[in-house]
Amino acid sequence: MKIIPQTIADPIKEKQPRRKKNLVQNEAGIVSRLFFGVVLSLFSVLSILPLVWLALSSFKTTQEFQMNRLGLPLNWFFKNYLFAWKIGNMGTLVLNSLFYTSISTIAVIFFSLAAAFAFAKIKSKATPFLYGSFVIGILLTIQSIMVPLFLMANTVNLLDTRLGVLIPYVGLGLPLGVYLCTEYVKSIHDSIVESARIDGAGYFKIFGVIILPMAKPVVSTLAILNVLTVWNEFMMINILVSRETLKSLPVGIMKFSSALSSDYGKQFAALVIGLLPLLLFYLVFRNKITEGVSAGAVKG
Amino acid sequence: MKQHLAKKEERRAYLLLVLPAVLLYFAVIAFPMVFSIGMSVSDYSGGQIFGGSVPINYVGFSNYTRMWKDQYFWISLKNNVYIVLISIFGQIPLGFVLAYALHRNQVRRKGFFQTVIYLPSVISSVIVGILWQTIFSPYGPFTELMQYFKPGWENTLLSNPRTAMLPVLLVMLWFYTGTYFIIFLANLQKIDQEVIEAAKIDGASEWQSLRYVILPALSGVIVTSSILAISGSLKSFDLIFGMTAGNPARRTSVLALYMYDTAFRGAPKYPLANAISTFMVAFSFLLIIITKLVEKRFGGREE
Repeated sequence: MKIIPQTIADPIKEKQPRRKKNLVQNEAGIVSRLFFGVVLSLFSVLSILPLVWLALSSFKTTQEFQMNRLGLPLNWFFKNYLFAWKIGNMGTLVLNSLFYTSISTIAVIFFSLAAAFAFAKIKSKATPFLYGSFVIGILLTIQSIMVPLFLMANTVNLLDTRLGVLIPYVGLGLPLGVYLCTEYVKSIHDSIVESARIDGAGYFKIFGVIILPMAKPVVSTLAILNVLTVWNEFMMINILVSRETLKSLPVGIMKFSSALSSDYGKQFAALVIGLLPLLLFYLVFRNKITEGVSAGAVKG
Repeated sequence: MKQHLAKKEERRAYLLLVLPAVLLYFAVIAFPMVFSIGMSVSDYSGGQIFGGSVPINYVGFSNYTRMWKDQYFWISLKNNVYIVLISIFGQIPLGFVLAYALHRNQVRRKGFFQTVIYLPSVISSVIVGILWQTIFSPYGPFTELMQYFKPGWENTLLSNPRTAMLPVLLVMLWFYTGTYFIIFLANLQKIDQEVIEAAKIDGASEWQSLRYVILPALSGVIVTSSILAISGSLKSFDLIFGMTAGNPARRTSVLALYMYDTAFRGAPKYPLANAISTFMVAFSFLLIIITKLVEKRFGGREE
């Protein structure tokens, strides 16, 4: 499998030097520049138009929406949000999503990095087999283990518990995590670890004092990928959890697809609430996120 | 003696470091995988697995035969193929064109375009599904827009079994192009600018440098993207679940949804569901191997 290396130049910071062009090239340049400019603008508009429409519609009452589906709201009706928040139990949903995402991300990073340190810097005959298993695991998808996971969770009484959600989330994050971390730790010079050994440092001390601080770039990539995956994960948690108090945001939002699907005002407000957290996360960390996504593209 | 102690410490450290990850991996991924294959050739029908009152028998490939004869399996498989096709002929070329446009032309506001084009990709697919279901519904804005051009137009897009897959594919184009765009953009920036400049100085036109310098340099990325498209298609579930739930008449179902319906809707048929998921794993490995073979045959111009 071809791997896209993690060292990706920041697309925005990297400015190209202006080049001198002769006249003929310049004319062709103007045409193609215009063409590409139009293509880019068109697709950008198409990308956000549905979302802008959603945001505007979320301020209309359902009655108004039925009369005025495309235009600006005539009366800005903010109460949709209040109702959606209450009916949808949004406070609980957001907190649950935050809980699942943060705990599983921390666990994935820590366990992946620990295993990666051993795989990359301590010689052992077990490494090829163990590391190979993780790499193969990258290709597996959730649905191929869905039914067994459900039955296993049922057997050990982990259905409808937070732990029953967290364990699979951590497990599913590990293959990519171990892979990215191992490749990264390999790039740290052996001599750094060796000289620390000669100075008498134990492996755990080396892990805490040297590897952890040096692994910041891969940790942030991994954190971003894991946050995006876990926050948006729907299929598995939908099976493993049925109690309202344990649902995550995407599962809770489904309520607005069936029972409340014709109550447009509230549905739109609920969707906006549902997409806001990740949208903010994206706008704040956008460069890091696009970098991380292309680094993690190996996850097929 | 000292060396012996060091070896022992080394082994202990190794064990402790890999233990949590390995245990979780085998509990959550490796064991369930084997379990799934095992169950797909059994007649397990619920209840306790170990020491239950109903014995579980080996039934050979009968679950696979059952799947093979089910029309919904073929409907779902066909839709998965459509999704791969729209990725390969829609998302990937479009993502490339957008990335190339942004990369080659010193358009102002590069960062702005990049942010906006990738933006839909970070939204939960369930939310995307519900949103577009409303947009395409007979009461939605799409109807109004169409009626503006064609008065009296009746919107049966999502209720007509023959056309229902069309909006789904369009939404996928909207939703997933950004991912390929970002992948291409990152890799375009890694191509040595001087090679392109040298080609230009030698008199290569924009098109020629694209055809003979840039595309060959990206052949590996194109293969990776195709693999991503294949496994992404087999994974697709949430979006369709939110948008159509596989309806009308299960005509927009995909393999993952077919598996889900088999296992968790109505009377549970776990062995059949496991046959479906095992088939999906085998199928995706097969497609990936074919993609790699195609690359070997036609690609390899990166050097």
